[in-house]
Amino acid sequence: MAASVDPLVVGRVIGDVLDMFIPTANMSVYFGPKHITNGCEIKPSAAVNPPRVIISGNSNELYTLVMTDPDAPSPSEPNMREWVHWIVVDIPGGTNPSKGKEILQYMEPRPPVGIHRYIFVLFRQNSPVGMMVQQPPSRANFSTRMFAGHLDLGLPVATVYFNAQKEPASRRR
Amino acid sequence: MAIPMAMATPTDSLSRVWSMSSLKSSLPSVTCRLPSSSPPRPVTLRLPSFSGLSPVNPLISTGLPGWQSFEDGFKIIDGGGRVYAMRHGRRVPKLNRPPDQRKALLRGLTTQLLKHGRIKTTRARASAMRKFVDKMITLAKDGSLHKRRQALGYIYEKQIVHALFAEVPDRYGERNGGYTRIIRTLPRRGDNAPMAYIELV
Repeated sequence: MAASVDPLVVGRVIGDVLDMFIPTANMSVYFGPKHITNGCEIKPSAAVNPPRVIISGNSNELYTLVMTDPDAPSPSEPNMREWVHWIVVDIPGGTNPSKGKEILQYMEPRPPVGIHRYIFVLFRQNSPVGMMVQQPPSRANFSTRMFAGHLDLGLPVATVYFNAQKEPASRRR
Repeated sequence: MAIPMAMATPTDSLSRVWSMSSLKSSLPSVTCRLPSSSPPRPVTLRLPSFSGLSPVNPLISTGLPGWQSFEDGFKIIDGGGRVYAMRHGRRVPKLNRPPDQRKALLRGLTTQLLKHGRIKTTRARASAMRKFVDKMITLAKDGSLHKRRQALGYIYEKQIVHALFAEVPDRYGERNGGYTRIIRTLPRRGDNAPMAYIELV
């Protein structure tokens, strides 16, 4: 069934959003007590606040973090692929995104239809980016590849993704 | 058999014995000779009733020849199916349900997959529904009215059928088969059932 055992390939993260890369950095993402593994299920109510992200590396390197949703508005008809939720640049290695410059404010996952994938992509920057990038005009139809090409970020160094679906409105008894 | 009570009256008010003649005349007439002699003589009944599908009772001999054994009275009509003790070669997934419920379950699952694009279900159900999802997309690829009506007979919501027929030629025009993908995931907490995501490619 799966061509390769890499969960990013199986989940088509590599293919829809990214190109094949070799992970060179470690990134751990925590929503509250829950650690994100590839393909795990997170409730949108647990993801209201930005997650705690721990990036490896030494502090003279700068990183960029992007969080996107390639399945907007619905996985069967992704017209607005991708919907970008969060962009933070100039994060010093070994710290978290609060030390970086937030280009686009964090927006919580709100999948209207179906089960959406939410992807955290980490790039290593060659140089401080700060002034060169502004907020994208709209969150829809974002392209991570073009964003990385525009800022000359190259291939990602770490990626993780999770799934989320709309929670039923009424409390399940 | 309503016995008209009005007719069954005692012949005289003092007698406790009912007259049988009035009862007999009110009942439907049955021309049968009750066996008064000993049983070894075969009994012939001419009953005005339908006896078409019952196997001819060998005790009631109507003159048909030559039964050697019990099976001769039955004509076995089958499709040539073989019954094995094992499951060899049987490829239909039963999903622990009777056939009508199984069909309804698969119809519901394909409807939901075509509506939402990605659903999470058990691995057995996901691998069982692949065939039907592919079948629906193939019907949509053809696009004729007859195929549309066949799809409407299977999918529960007609807007989904119309949306499917509208977008499948663009989306799956070049792809030959394999319109779904199954990703296995963690087991369900309640019963440790192996789960999987199934999505449209």
